[in-house]
Amino acid sequence: MRFFKKTDLLIFAGLILISVLVFVGYRHFSADITPHAEIYYRGELVKILALDQGKEEQFSVPEVPEVLFHLYPDGTVCFEKSDCPDQVCVNAGRVGRAGEFAACLPNQLVLKIVADEQDPDAPDILVGN
Amino acid sequence: MGPGRNHTHSMVLTGLLFAAALVLAVVEGMLPPLPIPVPGIKFGLSNIAVMYALFFLGAREAYCIALLKGVFSFAVRGAVAGLLSLSGGVLSITAMLLLLFFFREKISYTILSVFGAISHNMGQFLVILLLYSGMNMWPYLPFLLVSGMIAGIITSTLLRFVLPAFRRFHR
Repeated sequence: MRFFKKTDLLIFAGLILISVLVFVGYRHFSADITPHAEIYYRGELVKILALDQGKEEQFSVPEVPEVLFHLYPDGTVCFEKSDCPDQVCVNAGRVGRAGEFAACLPNQLVLKIVADEQDPDAPDILVGN
Repeated sequence: MGPGRNHTHSMVLTGLLFAAALVLAVVEGMLPPLPIPVPGIKFGLSNIAVMYALFFLGAREAYCIALLKGVFSFAVRGAVAGLLSLSGGVLSITAMLLLLFFFREKISYTILSVFGAISHNMGQFLVILLLYSGMNMWPYLPFLLVSGMIAGIITSTLLRFVLPAFRRFHR
């Protein structure tokens, strides 16, 4: 068995093509939707945030006061500070489009961006629900 | 004589490869985190050891390493990490096995490695989807595919450099 064949390049091109298509398609379908943010602790909804108010705020949920969230005026939210060892949540950066999420698994916190229910065109393709 | 000349030999090699996989994972953890907004995307250097086991020892040994890694992650980092590691590892090996089964000699190590990496990421993602209901996978699919591709290329290249050293086991 060889390590590399010329046809491999074709497969790479195909993978990149699929990635680009999904990326562009997702951005296209999620562009006009006004979403809101939901924060879950241990799978239960503990906080809902409106993202279109233009507010800037630093906050944490009462269940986990060590984790700081940051809401920005442009409608994005992020994990600003966390006491977890791997910092995956903080490194995830800001999220603001419907379907995006960030999670701090050691602290059992999930930050989800969800489309408002009145919008029937939202890309709410839920898997396993 | 071929690899794993007897049961003991194969068992010892599997243990060694498991240790190698752990060391690779630790070394990878020391690298600076990637500035990509997707949780859990990594190079998967420990896959080098798993791939070697799969290609040159056998499916049983490879699954064994995946299981051991899952148990280890569970012991060190908790249930969720253990489940993620196990699902990623098992799905990755299964995908590579399927590819080997259908394509035999016609496939290259690089492509096997790429799809192994992609399915490893997918396995972990599926677990997250199941645990935290209502997640949307579409925004992250491009990152999963591309990072799996890059990781697969890197790990298969590294495996290629390491292979001459391993040949000495099989004389």
